[in-house]
Amino acid sequence: MIALDHVSRRFRRADGQIVQALDDVSVTIAPGEFVCLVGPSGCGKSTLLQLVAGLLEPSGGSVNVAGQVVRGPAPERGMVFQRDSVFPWLRVIDNVQYGPRCRGMKRAARLALAQQYLERVGLAHVARAWPRELSGGMLKRVAVAMVFANGAEVLLLDEPFGALDYVTRHQLHDVLLDLWEESRARTGRRTVLFVTHDVDECLVLADRILVFRAGRLVDDFPVAAPRPRTADSLLLADMVAHRHRLLAHLGLERAAPRAIAGAAAQ
Amino acid sequence: MRRGAAGRFAAAVDPLRLAGPVLLAAAWWAMARALPPSLLPPPLAVLRRVAADFLAAPELTYYGLDNASLLGSLLYTVQNVVLAVALGTALGVVGGLLAARIALLRAVIDPMMLTAGTIPILIAAPFLLIWFGVGRGSAVALVVFNVAVVLYLFARRAAANLDPIHEAAARMLGATPAGAVRDVLLPGTVPEILGGLRIALAGAWGLEAIAELLGAQQGIGKVIEVLAGATDVEGIMAALLLLGAVAVVADALAAAAIRRLAPWTTPARLAAA
Amino acid sequence: MTARRTAARDRWVTLGVFMALAAAWQALSLVFTAEAQPGEPMVPGWQVLFSRTLLSMSDYFQGGFGIRPISEGGVRSYPAAVLSLLGNSADTLLRLAVGWLAGALAGTLLGLAVSWSAWSRRLVELPAQFLRTLPLLAMVPLFQLWFGSYFIGKVAFVAYGVGVLFFAGVVNAVGNVPQIHIDNARTLGAGQWRLYGSVVLPAILPELRATMLLSLGAAWAAVLGAEYLGAQSGLGYIIVFAQQFAFLDRMFLVALLIVVYTSLSFWAFDRLSAWATRWAPAAG
Repeated sequence: MIALDHVSRRFRRADGQIVQALDDVSVTIAPGEFVCLVGPSGCGKSTLLQLVAGLLEPSGGSVNVAGQVVRGPAPERGMVFQRDSVFPWLRVIDNVQYGPRCRGMKRAARLALAQQYLERVGLAHVARAWPRELSGGMLKRVAVAMVFANGAEVLLLDEPFGALDYVTRHQLHDVLLDLWEESRARTGRRTVLFVTHDVDECLVLADRILVFRAGRLVDDFPVAAPRPRTADSLLLADMVAHRHRLLAHLGLERAAPRAIAGAAAQ
Repeated sequence: MRRGAAGRFAAAVDPLRLAGPVLLAAAWWAMARALPPSLLPPPLAVLRRVAADFLAAPELTYYGLDNASLLGSLLYTVQNVVLAVALGTALGVVGGLLAARIALLRAVIDPMMLTAGTIPILIAAPFLLIWFGVGRGSAVALVVFNVAVVLYLFARRAAANLDPIHEAAARMLGATPAGAVRDVLLPGTVPEILGGLRIALAGAWGLEAIAELLGAQQGIGKVIEVLAGATDVEGIMAALLLLGAVAVVADALAAAAIRRLAPWTTPARLAAA
Repeated sequence: MTARRTAARDRWVTLGVFMALAAAWQALSLVFTAEAQPGEPMVPGWQVLFSRTLLSMSDYFQGGFGIRPISEGGVRSYPAAVLSLLGNSADTLLRLAVGWLAGALAGTLLGLAVSWSAWSRRLVELPAQFLRTLPLLAMVPLFQLWFGSYFIGKVAFVAYGVGVLFFAGVVNAVGNVPQIHIDNARTLGAGQWRLYGSVVLPAILPELRATMLLSLGAAWAAVLGAEYLGAQSGLGYIIVFAQQFAFLDRMFLVALLIVVYTSLSFWAFDRLSAWATRWAPAAG
């Protein structure tokens, strides 16, 4: 379980001004939940992720994961970053076995584990390649494999697929959901926090959506549509309603509802 | 722009950065206390020596120096370096830019310059002493040689890195070939060439000094040579400190010149160069 | 024309240029026949360089392998000359190698220690810059007074010159390591020591490549400078000793040998560092 209790976080900008990135946020996330964090740029969603990861410390309040106060990063909380985080000086397979090596796993065991996860993300054929030889989508697969191979109970993904093309992004959604469902079935938990600003992406992925604006949690609702979800799932009445709700939060409500209202008036 | 200036100011008065030199002096002082002064004199003694010998150093006259003061010796050395850097820069830049645009010239000069770029130029010093004698000529020739090689390599690379589309665009907009060189090739390569100049200048002080050490009648290197003969560590350190200070000031001037002449480059790239 | 054919053509032109230089030298030796001393030409042709000049290298032989040195009444011979060149080369190369390794190791370790925190990095910035700007070659006499003119003095001098470059290079490079790689390693469970070993060290390697080549040049200059100004053996010693008698042919032969050594050392360094950073995308 992840529990944020009245968490706030301030930054001092280079020009000396104080920015309130997170302002008194309290939220509890159950084990095994897939939660998407949505909001406009600079709303504090990435800050929240970094607080849970332990890469930042809160200015006020407390962050608890599995009953423990978060003090610095730990392998129980894996992170996939927005930019390319794969180590360029390690071959692909050595990247995937990096986390297990940090934990002191035996060489044969961690190699087998890394190979297994490379197969799961469809990259077994480039295990010995250097990262520079891979495309952006393949690098993201490596990053996902790194985190899953490390066996983290909480996965933190910070706009991981934002820079990818449409097709690659959807392939990676499937990879991510497969791995998540498989490991949830095996361990009974594996919580995911997924930051995005893509409305369709979070409707396809999430059990629950948290909306942020200007550092505050402004909305929190479940997405109950059955899995596996396809493009057609987005046409369910529930989903369309969620979609309008999200677009309104993002300040795009004029685009959709007015068109609908106009059609109804004729 | 204003924030950049404020940032530079903040960096300049950063107390931690300024504490660095103080710490260095303190470390020197502490080591000097543990060692005999004939081996490592304390900083203050060296500074006093600089002040005492700056305008007139009678003990240097005993060794037959023509110009027996630190200032006079330093001026001789500075003159040589300035002359040599100016000559070497002119030779290197013209050669490098020409070689970058004329394939045949490049094929002929490049192998020699690339080899000259890796060998220690110091190897030429004894030859130059025989050919030019122990006067100004041999030291200046050594530094000219080094500066010309470094700037040739930098100018040639800068011109090669310059996207030919800029020159094509200038020609398309009606520039003459000479105009394209003046308006595109020169400004486009100036930042990298100036970066090379800074590197060549930094190396020039040591080369000039060792050329004077190997055979000269004057100059700060000659001062160091006679003081080494007298095992006068304090005097050597005074001369080195003065030469080092001049090198630091010259480097700062070069950096300021780069900022003025090529304001569109970012400081980060200059740092990398 | 394709890039590969251009490269092949450039190789031929390079070869041609060096052949032409060698031929020009030979022509000069025929035109300009002045002698520094009887039998010691100012511009020695290749036939002289590889006979009489090479033979004269026996003068710098210090004995061994059952051959008596000149100073003990031995006669000039090709075996003595070759052994002399090999022995003096070994002296110079050993000073260079030990000095470079010691300096690189000390500079890297100090640089890593200092970059442990942003505070110490700021603290050493100016002193490191000053030490780097201090003209290295002017400091030869100082090091001779401190460490003597034997092996240790030259090694210390080379190590200092290399160490200062490495220190500044490492501190600068550590400051440029992308934060994302550090964050990634920490979330995967790496501690501070492992972070240094598995992230910081490899990440700074591409930037250190320039420092390595620069420091190799500095090391060669330092070892030559130190040998010029006080040594009993080594290639730089032969050059300066020959210069006092204006034996241009001997100086020329030894200088050629040094050029071969430096070129080989740079080539080897380049290959080695290219291999160590083969993971990095090619720099522009």
